[in-house]
Amino acid sequence: MLLKKLFRTLWHYKAQFISMVIMIALGVGVFLGFNIEWYSLDVSTREIYEATGFADFRIFSDSGFSEADLEKVLAIDGVEDATRYLSVNTAVKDDTDTIALTVSTNMKVSGIQLMEGEAYSDTDPEGIWLSDSYAAANGIHVGDSLTVSYKTITVSGKVKGLVKSSEYLICVPDETQMMPDYTSYGYAYISPVMLENAIPMLYRAVLGSSLYHQINVKSGLTKAQFVEKADKALGATRLILDKSETISWAEARGEVEEGITMGSILPVLFLAIAILTMVTTMHRITASEKTQIGTFKALGFKDRRILRHYSAYALIIGLMGSLLGIGIGYGLGRFILSPDGAMATYIDLPAWPLYAPAFTWIVIVLINVFLTVIGFLSVRKMLGGTAADALRPYVPKRVKHLWLEETKRFKSLSFSTKWNLRDCFRHKSRSFMTLFGIVGCMILLVGGMGMKDTMDSFLDTFYEQAINYRYRVNLDTENVSNEEAFALAEKLEGDWCAQRAVQIGDKGYSLEIYSITRDKVRFADADMKILTLSDDGAYICSRIARDFHLKAGDSITFSPYGGDEEITVPVIGVLDSMTKSIVMTAAFADRAGISYTVSTVFTDREDIPAGGSILNTQSKKSIMDSFDTFMDLMNKMIWLLVIAAIILGIVVLYNLGIMSYTERYREMATLKVVGFRDSRIGRLLIIQNMWLTVIGILIGIPAGVGVLQYLLTALASEYELKLVLGPATWLVSVLLTFGVSLAVGLMISRKNRTIDMVAALKTEE
Amino acid sequence: MAIVEFKNVSRVYRNGEHEQRALDHVDLSLEEGQFIVILGPSGAGKSTLLNLLGGLDSPTEGTILVNGKDISTLTPNELAEYRAASVGFVFQSYNLIPTLTVIENVALVKEIAPNPLSSHDMLRAVGLEDHRHNFPSELSGGEQQRVSIARALAKNPHILLCDEPTGALDSETGVMVLKLLLSMARDMGKTIIIVTHNQNIAKMADTVIRVKNGKIKSCEKQDHPLAVEEVDW
Repeated sequence: MLLKKLFRTLWHYKAQFISMVIMIALGVGVFLGFNIEWYSLDVSTREIYEATGFADFRIFSDSGFSEADLEKVLAIDGVEDATRYLSVNTAVKDDTDTIALTVSTNMKVSGIQLMEGEAYSDTDPEGIWLSDSYAAANGIHVGDSLTVSYKTITVSGKVKGLVKSSEYLICVPDETQMMPDYTSYGYAYISPVMLENAIPMLYRAVLGSSLYHQINVKSGLTKAQFVEKADKALGATRLILDKSETISWAEARGEVEEGITMGSILPVLFLAIAILTMVTTMHRITASEKTQIGTFKALGFKDRRILRHYSAYALIIGLMGSLLGIGIGYGLGRFILSPDGAMATYIDLPAWPLYAPAFTWIVIVLINVFLTVIGFLSVRKMLGGTAADALRPYVPKRVKHLWLEETKRFKSLSFSTKWNLRDCFRHKSRSFMTLFGIVGCMILLVGGMGMKDTMDSFLDTFYEQAINYRYRVNLDTENVSNEEAFALAEKLEGDWCAQRAVQIGDKGYSLEIYSITRDKVRFADADMKILTLSDDGAYICSRIARDFHLKAGDSITFSPYGGDEEITVPVIGVLDSMTKSIVMTAAFADRAGISYTVSTVFTDREDIPAGGSILNTQSKKSIMDSFDTFMDLMNKMIWLLVIAAIILGIVVLYNLGIMSYTERYREMATLKVVGFRDSRIGRLLIIQNMWLTVIGILIGIPAGVGVLQYLLTALASEYELKLVLGPATWLVSVLLTFGVSLAVGLMISRKNRTIDMVAALKTEE
Repeated sequence: MAIVEFKNVSRVYRNGEHEQRALDHVDLSLEEGQFIVILGPSGAGKSTLLNLLGGLDSPTEGTILVNGKDISTLTPNELAEYRAASVGFVFQSYNLIPTLTVIENVALVKEIAPNPLSSHDMLRAVGLEDHRHNFPSELSGGEQQRVSIARALAKNPHILLCDEPTGALDSETGVMVLKLLLSMARDMGKTIIIVTHNQNIAKMADTVIRVKNGKIKSCEKQDHPLAVEEVDW
């Protein structure tokens, strides 16, 4: 019988129950979804690192490594395995595409995972194992022929397998390109045998053993230990990078960290609102059920049975919300992580299984326990005392005089203002919850749209303003002299840049030396304002400034990689940059005695000569195109957040509005009897909502900015983002929040037309 | 002169197939300035009569004239105006706004009544001037009912409708409230209609209407109504 009552009561309070189920579903869904996102990514990336033998360390040398060098490295105590490794950007024949041609002499380290076709063979003279994503984007299949060239060397072969590689988990040519673009850039593996066959005899003799510029190592040593041992073993100081300094590892870990950050803010917001709504609503429902609770007690039901019955309401809400939330969570996870999902446009994983971390299940169970306890405590409060006590209707808190009633201003307020003010203070938890809902709604809107503004501004500064050239011509630094490069820059009416890898401590950075006379490249300062480089010192990026606690006026010391030479230069400014770099003008570099070889020419001219010292040419358009995917992704996320904000706003405000309406039903009936019109009474209800909305918006704006700033700080290791909020974001956030509140207010205020004056006034106070 | 006229008034409540005739073809005429008591057992239809007269409800059929104006066909907004201008209510459970102080509860009607009286005067008249800044919950039942009377009269209505005004009070307080109600209404020349099942109150009335099963059983005029003190409570 009690079960029947349970379901009928659930139906009776359907608005409240449905809102609570939705809130808990949203809370659990967002919580689970974000945690599934980072955790699945973490597991899947670790799996491919494991499966393909992702190297822990990379040793670089301009002169290359011989087999003897490899043996020395392998002999180091603590080294598990190692390979000589080569990755070089090659041009695809009859196409503008670039393929990073890769050779690993020991595929147990920095190897591949086969997706389709034949298994890799290290003696295959013609087999090419091509990135399956590049193949798909370019309509290449197993069995097709492929020819790539590097300078005068041409490599032709047959695609024997389609693969994934952890070394190219995020397949971008360099750090300036934000998103992979498989239509124009991919990677391929060939065997060492095929590589040697492809190199003309004479050339091979000249190159000797210097074909492999890199040794990749699997080892559990720390970087400091490994560097010391490797330098000793090889008899020279080398640039050694650990895996955290590779794009593949750093960006993938960045995504995981980003997921953890996102997963720690939004879900907490949703869950907090869900739980607080539950506390408020359960209290109200048990209060209005008090006489029934008393009746059960008077009839002889034991307290334990009554407690169990009413706690079941909270448990049912919790379970229904959790089940729905688990569905939402997996849906959200699938939306982000799937072959067609948002993350697949960025990270190239072989499979996208979804895993939920164990703690999420524990949290979901705890939420349900907590909700049941909330229900239990709410009923216990109503059960206190004798059966006669329990039978008496719930008496709301007495109204108290407010401190502001002593002011003259208060006395002159209209009755509706006084009524609403006192009501807000009398029902503090309800008012607080309404505020909380509005603040939450604002945080999501300001945070979501602000993130888009920030990224828009970031892309605008770096790609629309800073890239003022149409083509970027990459030179073969091994075969080009500075004089040739200067002549080419002059001919192409361009500016030029030289890049050198440098170390600060044991971390690798890029030293970029620019000669800018034609405004083809621009730089943004830490406030994202375009500046002109001065010849008086070096500029550092925000990340270097933060990591080494440096500012303008300090000096910075770095070493060109592979050597012991130390260079100290004054820091004259901090730049916002895509790469972790030190930037200076050629004039300053010359004065400081820093040597360099020009590596890139920036130009608008289209008559770029082919071949010779030119490795390849990248157009600004191809760089910009890759952002479309990124912005699509961004827009999808923004829409999700806006929808979540609206649902949150509507559900919380409607639930609390209904509560407020129910609690003031009798007062409104009195006003109606006295002669107040429905519209006037409706306005009374809406006014209170509007007040709370205005206060919520005022709190929500800084809170939203704060949350966004927190997210940007958390993302700072990946991008140097400066918070930007456009006028449209302010306007839309405020208007949308106001609109939601007004719409819900109107929905509820319409209900007062149906107030049964007679019935309401007959009930006991 | 008749201030209120019910002509063939019926009120039927329908609940699915079940039909309840709360008032059944009632004809009634009430004189201005009188103290009228409507008596009857529970479910007789006396509260329905009062609700129809107060504009809280509309008849299923028939006409209700108040001061010659038909209120049975008014829209909800016109009914609200009618309630604001013409009738004052006093309820058994007071129905004060808990979040407004005593003076604010009375002054509330200024927002809607066309000719309101001074709230301070009304409070003084019911003897609660000193409690004007208290909230209703800080007053006794009798005091709350006096505030309710002050609020009803502050609208300066033609008719004062009271539904069991002493029902929630002990007899001593009830007598005090009735005395106040009578003296104020008489002094101000109001028509007072009280619905009750308390036979004693009827002894004070100018007219006593007895209702049973939705019909008017009798309508008696009393030439010599008793004073409150003369009634044996």
